[in-house]
Amino acid sequence: MNILVTGAASELAHALASHLSEDHQIRLTDIVDIKTDLEFVRCDLGHDETTNELVRGMDNIIHLAELPPDYSDDSLDSDNLTIDFLTRCTYNLLWAAVEENVKKAVYGSTLELFDKYDDDLTVNENWRPLPSTDPYVLGKHLGEFTCKEFARTSQIQITCLRYGEIVRVEDVKGQPYDPAWIEIRDLVHAFECALGEKQAGLNREWSVFHIEADAPDADYPPARRARGTIGYSPKYRFRE
Amino acid sequence: MNVLILGGTGNLGPFVVNALEPYHTLRVTDVNPPEDTAHEFRYVDMASMTQVVEAAEGMDAIVNCSVLREHRKIAFDVNTLGSYHMMSAAVTHGIKRVINTGPHAILTGPTYDHIDFMLTEDIPPHSGVDLVGGDNPYSISKSLGQEICKVFTENYDVHVMCLLFCGLKNPEHPRFFPGRDVTPFVVSVRDAAEACRLGLNVDLKSLPSKNEVFYITTDIPHGKFSNAKAKRILGFAPKDRFEVVWHKVADN
Ligand SMILES: NC(=O)c1ccc[n+]([C@@H]2O[C@H](COP(=O)([O-])OP(=O)(O)OC[C@H]3O[C@@H](n4cnc5c(N)ncnc54)[C@H](O)[C@@H]3O)[C@@H](O)[C@H]2O)c1
Repeated sequence: MNILVTGAASELAHALASHLSEDHQIRLTDIVDIKTDLEFVRCDLGHDETTNELVRGMDNIIHLAELPPDYSDDSLDSDNLTIDFLTRCTYNLLWAAVEENVKKAVYGSTLELFDKYDDDLTVNENWRPLPSTDPYVLGKHLGEFTCKEFARTSQIQITCLRYGEIVRVEDVKGQPYDPAWIEIRDLVHAFECALGEKQAGLNREWSVFHIEADAPDADYPPARRARGTIGYSPKYRFRE
Repeated sequence: MNVLILGGTGNLGPFVVNALEPYHTLRVTDVNPPEDTAHEFRYVDMASMTQVVEAAEGMDAIVNCSVLREHRKIAFDVNTLGSYHMMSAAVTHGIKRVINTGPHAILTGPTYDHIDFMLTEDIPPHSGVDLVGGDNPYSISKSLGQEICKVFTENYDVHVMCLLFCGLKNPEHPRFFPGRDVTPFVVSVRDAAEACRLGLNVDLKSLPSKNEVFYITTDIPHGKFSNAKAKRILGFAPKDRFEVVWHKVADN
């Protein structure tokens, strides 16, 4: 498969690209230059031919929808940049994808959309997101909104993965446990599941999965839909 | 009340000024100055957080008539970021009442509009991604703007009434022909402006929620969109009717 991964400057994109490049052709993109041995195309995801060229020939797009860390732009303040990137640039990317006949995209979202629910609730994909007005959380919500409209009206299938704070098991050893943690290798595996190989029979234009770490003692098993539908099977535990 | 009008010099804006000026003190803003005005005018670009927040100082309510339809960057600047700036301005200055406006496709894009009847306002937004099958982010950028308004009402003590229009007609030059029918959602620009005035009058406590959307259409028999909610809650009573359009012209 030819797969485009956006947000190339992020650690997640790096981990995804190294893993997926074993079996797939990977093209990375970001709005800033990065160092990589893989194919990289710098692109602003603007409304011009360069976005079409970026997605041309791709079977799948992983849109991490992340600005590079510490990115700034003189024309907009940081709140605006985030919202602008997650709405307009997501729109431009998907518009170009539909024009270039890309059949599938996976959108990276956040479980922070559910922070307002009490911790003792069985929050899953059937619960309504309650975004705050924090530009990142609001922006992720608006990005989902944009994806849904493309999925509803265009010939592109979109899978949305929502996850919490990306960590490595070894880096958080000894720290107080945080239920928002997701191990980066489990998350890479979740994206691989979402790419579609294991989605036989699931022919929805829009699907959403919460990607959570394994929690052996939980009454309500985390990531139940992702386990049952796309074959997500987390390996890393932060607590025994 | 002190009322800030954003995008106040376009097609709808001057009618809103006429409807409000007997009752309110107006600060009209736009990127295009009016030819002549008795009111305070300020240059305010919706793409600028600073300009929008400064313009809202001392205001009791905001009416947003701004829109940019075609340009794929500026449409998002005005319709999406512009809403973010407007709502941030409302929260900064403790303004409790905001009237947003937009096309009916904010809610009912092609997946409803091409298919369903008896559409009400209390449905999830399906704006679609373009307006007319072309390269035009008008409806989705406006719909994202309204979603921002909704999220702010769920997080702060601010009310938004979003008035949706389609085919605003100047009653003096309505540009349609008897017996040829019309989009099943139509209103005169002065009735639309009157709806803005009603939105400034309504008791906020009487609204079912802090974010309410209204179809502002004249009485129309097609059974696709209804103005019943606007009548019930805002007291909307459209004066300009366009019956000649949907009655067949008798052969002579
Ligand atoms: N005209 C219609 O038939 C129609 C139909 C459906 C909905 N609407 C809605 O009604 C409202 C008013 O529409 P209209 O017909 O008066 O539009 P218009 O284009 O005539 O006026 C919009 C105004 O916004 C201003 N504007 C553009 N960019 C701006 C910026 N960067 N900052 C500040 N102001 C800016 C313009 O200068 C203009 O005065 C909009 O919300 C629109 O979506 C209109």
